[in-house]
Amino acid sequence: MNVVIVYKWARDEANALVRADGSVDWRNAKMTAGEDDPAALAVARTLAETAGGSLAGLTIGDGDASWALARGVEQAVRVSDVPDLVDNAATAAVLAAAVRRIGAVDVVVIGDSTQNPGVCVALAGQLGWPVVAGLTSATAVGDRVEAVRCIGTRELTFSMATPVVLGVLAQSDVDRPPGMKELLAARRRPLTTWALADLAEPPVDVVSRGTRAPDVPPARIFDGAPTVAAEQLVAALRDAGALA
Amino acid sequence: MSGQSWVVVTQEKQTRGMVLAARALSEPVVALVVGPQSLADLTATTGVDEVRWVPAEADQPPEAFAPALAQVVAASAPRVVLAGAEPGGRAVLGAVAAALSATVLPAVVAMSDDGGQLVVLQAALGGEVLRTLVPAGALAGVFAGADPQDGGAGGSAPVVQLAVESVDLRIARDEAGAAATGVADAARVVSFGRGVRAKADIALLGELAQALDAELACSMPVADDLGWLAKDRYVGRSGQHIAPRLYLAVGIGGAPQHMEGVRDAKVVAAVNSDPDARIFREADFGVVGDLYEVVPALIAAVRSAAPVTSVVKQ
Repeated sequence: MNVVIVYKWARDEANALVRADGSVDWRNAKMTAGEDDPAALAVARTLAETAGGSLAGLTIGDGDASWALARGVEQAVRVSDVPDLVDNAATAAVLAAAVRRIGAVDVVVIGDSTQNPGVCVALAGQLGWPVVAGLTSATAVGDRVEAVRCIGTRELTFSMATPVVLGVLAQSDVDRPPGMKELLAARRRPLTTWALADLAEPPVDVVSRGTRAPDVPPARIFDGAPTVAAEQLVAALRDAGALA
Repeated sequence: MSGQSWVVVTQEKQTRGMVLAARALSEPVVALVVGPQSLADLTATTGVDEVRWVPAEADQPPEAFAPALAQVVAASAPRVVLAGAEPGGRAVLGAVAAALSATVLPAVVAMSDDGGQLVVLQAALGGEVLRTLVPAGALAGVFAGADPQDGGAGGSAPVVQLAVESVDLRIARDEAGAAATGVADAARVVSFGRGVRAKADIALLGELAQALDAELACSMPVADDLGWLAKDRYVGRSGQHIAPRLYLAVGIGGAPQHMEGVRDAKVVAAVNSDPDARIFREADFGVVGDLYEVVPALIAAVRSAAPVTSVVKQ
């Protein structure tokens, strides 16, 4: 079972500075590892190990591609000149073209991003594969994949044939940083760089007419002395019917 | 493209909101329902013009029908297809988007028609800004707008049953976890995050919860990384999704992943020492201050005021 882990495919929204007028300044435009990337990588590694198959990394844009190589991925591909795209289908089209070029892929594992929940499902659609998203773990059982989705305290286990796309949700936000030995090993692992023009037509993004601040009123903030602020908050909660 | 909008329904949640958003385009709205007949019948009362219903066995998730349903929807060539955040509905949306060569946009909150041009309002950056977008062709949108609890056209639209093929993808096991903690159905929830410095300090939060007749919950790192509370008490995208009358977040930054779990809370209040904490952008009320000073003051304020009514949330 050959597994591809997709990582660093979007910008970190925490790096976006929102001005008072609602316009957005991206202070760091580089693609970064998303919150779900470590969990997705853990699932991909488990799948490759239980099935005895290969594990390759796929990233797009200008992020540091060694992130996965330093975390046990044997080889990686970077499509270097992909801009950050608002249209999740445009991002998915680039990823799908790269997966096709890698070839002989059985499972694609990708973080099921809160910010871009359309990417993993659009990727599956463009590959013509089924997709199961919102997963927390997966393992190979023979030539099939069993994957688990947690809904509160309930656990749903899916069984599926390959090829398939798996969207993984993080249940932990701690990424284990690699040590010096792993960083040095990453330098020796093959990283292949492809240009977008070699894969697909240039992506056409959706037209934006701009951004603005939402109309919702800001929170009512009490910032006086703790005793006074606490009494004001309790009074406000009571007026709002939250304590009734 | 036809002058038609479709909504993909795999659960009741978000259905009325999606139908209302699609109705704003003044075009016929077709609901594609995957699930039990009760869901199809309910959807038929939400103001749609027609329901196409795919009955699914207990071990058949919506994902299993996605490739076949993509062809069903594509045959009608709608201008807009919406689905909610639930993974099954999104799987259908992704397949439909590929069949329609549609733009896929997350966090769609509203749509309008500007002289024949579809205009989409998106809650970008976790809702910090509203972005106005103009897709060149069809739109496949993940809906994140308001979801009214009730309402509809008053009548009932016709329900047409579909027979479609499914792929080799099934639910092998459906297992209930540990007994529910009460967080899921609580009228009030006091929740804490990494602003709490030591496990022993949970007692302080417990005291506040007791004063408010609330359940105690936490953010994901507290349960998962620190193990201070049971995992079924953490609130967030991959944890509990709750709709209490009051959600009081103490020492929680307010990352989108956390706030997704309390999207349906009636009142959100927050205590945080950082005046720029993200949670204050989504809360109704906030106190800026050290939680170790504010929480004892809150306990005293609650106790000195009229007793908090003990309720069972309906």
